[in-house]
Amino acid sequence: MRLLKDALARRAMGLVAALPALLVLLIVAGLFLKSKAILAVEPLSKLLFSSAWHPLKGEFGLLPFITGTVWVTVTALVLAVPVSILAAIYLSEYAPRWVREGAKPVVDLLAGLPSVVYGVWGVILVVPFVGNVLAPLAGVHSSGYSILAGGIVLAIMTFPTIIHVTLEVFASVPQALRDASLSLGATRWETTRHVVLRKGAQGILAASVLGFSRAFGETMAVLMVVGNVPAVPRSLFDAGYPLPALIANNYGEMMSVPSYDAALMTAALVLTLIVLFFNVLARRILVRVERRVR
Amino acid sequence: MKKTAWAVALLLATASLGPSTTQATARAAGGRLTLSGAWALYPLAIRWQEEFQKTHPGVHIDVQAGGAGKGVADALAGVADIGMVSREILPAEVAKGAVAVAVAKDAVIATVSRKNPFLDTILRRGLRKEDLAAVWLRRTRGTWEGLLGLTGRTPVHVYTRSDACGAAETWAVYMGGHQEDLAGIGVYGDPGLAEAVRRDSLGIGYNNVNFAYDARTLEPVRGLAVCPIDLDASGAIEPREAVYSTRDDLIRAIAAGVYPSPPARELYFVIKGQPRPLLAEFLEWVLVEGRKYVAEMGYIAIGPERTAAGLAIVRGAAERK
Repeated sequence: MRLLKDALARRAMGLVAALPALLVLLIVAGLFLKSKAILAVEPLSKLLFSSAWHPLKGEFGLLPFITGTVWVTVTALVLAVPVSILAAIYLSEYAPRWVREGAKPVVDLLAGLPSVVYGVWGVILVVPFVGNVLAPLAGVHSSGYSILAGGIVLAIMTFPTIIHVTLEVFASVPQALRDASLSLGATRWETTRHVVLRKGAQGILAASVLGFSRAFGETMAVLMVVGNVPAVPRSLFDAGYPLPALIANNYGEMMSVPSYDAALMTAALVLTLIVLFFNVLARRILVRVERRVR
Repeated sequence: MKKTAWAVALLLATASLGPSTTQATARAAGGRLTLSGAWALYPLAIRWQEEFQKTHPGVHIDVQAGGAGKGVADALAGVADIGMVSREILPAEVAKGAVAVAVAKDAVIATVSRKNPFLDTILRRGLRKEDLAAVWLRRTRGTWEGLLGLTGRTPVHVYTRSDACGAAETWAVYMGGHQEDLAGIGVYGDPGLAEAVRRDSLGIGYNNVNFAYDARTLEPVRGLAVCPIDLDASGAIEPREAVYSTRDDLIRAIAAGVYPSPPARELYFVIKGQPRPLLAEFLEWVLVEGRKYVAEMGYIAIGPERTAAGLAIVRGAAERK
């Protein structure tokens, strides 16, 4: 009887554990079925590498949206990763205990704010800042609704994730290692660089990947500040149009038009595949780093 | 933002309906109607729902907003009785059996910032339809001086809506295109677009009447100016064309046909095939009794011949649209 229970429990839990994997497959399959109407008539290369987006005229180039997604995400990470890691180093290695304990809940609170709030804040503050301060500094004109504004808002949204995970990683570095390094006469910074950062390298990478995943799919906040112009951006001050924004902007209004609906489904499929691709890539890098460390 | 606000309003509305419905169904042989679709029609539909339920105890009406396309899709799939649509019905939708009844009118107007250095000239001369098309569609006029017949090189900052919507589509149709053809920085939602133009002294955009005018003062929203359209292309705004000082002036001009359509637009209830009795009763009530709530909600009532056409569809006596 007890053995039977054990077997049952194992099966049931196995099934539940398999569910997420199955769900991913189902989502991809569902999106694929829905986008078949477009994939059947348009060659994939044209869908992915054409920049003409006129769905009512039968032109479904997704290139502006794919490049828009990549630009905004990369901008966000270039801004977020160094700042987050430096902040985490300070909080973990330098800050007095009460500062660290006080900062943690604040960071978590930031992570929990709804993205619309970030969007509104971006429209009120970041967009004018980019348009009136940064763009003139760079010697260009920009309305402020730009890749850079999207990147800044997104960077601020990914800070908490990266800081939080990085802090955990640093906390897992044994205190004895630090003490050993310090007792050899190394300064705090030398200890951090050679001991803490080296030991925590893979964890930091994992933290950045987590931030990356969040950044890729973020919709509302970016959509409100990024300008949404369906053209391939040429500079940080140009407006961009990421894939999630495309779907969110048009789905409700256009789902009754079959070809438009299929085009949006294709966009969703492409987005899912991009995120999957980067996740798999990140996993492989992680595995490799792990092996090297051992 | 706007959508979130509506969603909250929707939740509250449905929540408050709960108990009264159970009472009503007990009292009379009731029925259920479901409306789904455009945000632009939502406030008016809610008003109609309230008034209709007052006089028809036992009838329960659900109103959901989720975009015009969702409305049409729901109506065609039979999930909703009525799809609310704020743009022209597309051929692909008619082919699937969508029948549209015009229930009210709304209008889209061009807006500029009060801080615009050329404001006086803009208000005196207005912009012709082809000027607007040169800005948004053909992208051939890049300077304010070019638009206003002056010399100089001050760039025009063009704004448009990022979300697919009836306002943008109507504005594009007026100039001879579709929303996907409109140039400009895409800003989310009516309030977002108004805010972007208000803040950019060289900006130009467009808004629904209810978002360009303050509902309380009935004057244009602070910091925003309505850019008059030079309807007869005479190079000046004559008194006949100066219809923008208050919301009521503009609404009168739209009703009288002085302000053209598009950019004024009809808002539709879309049904599939012949309406069932309760649905027909509601539609007829909307077209006849419901008219009196149209103006106070900031919309424009449709003309008598459009009402007659709608009634004909409802009663099944006429050709379908």
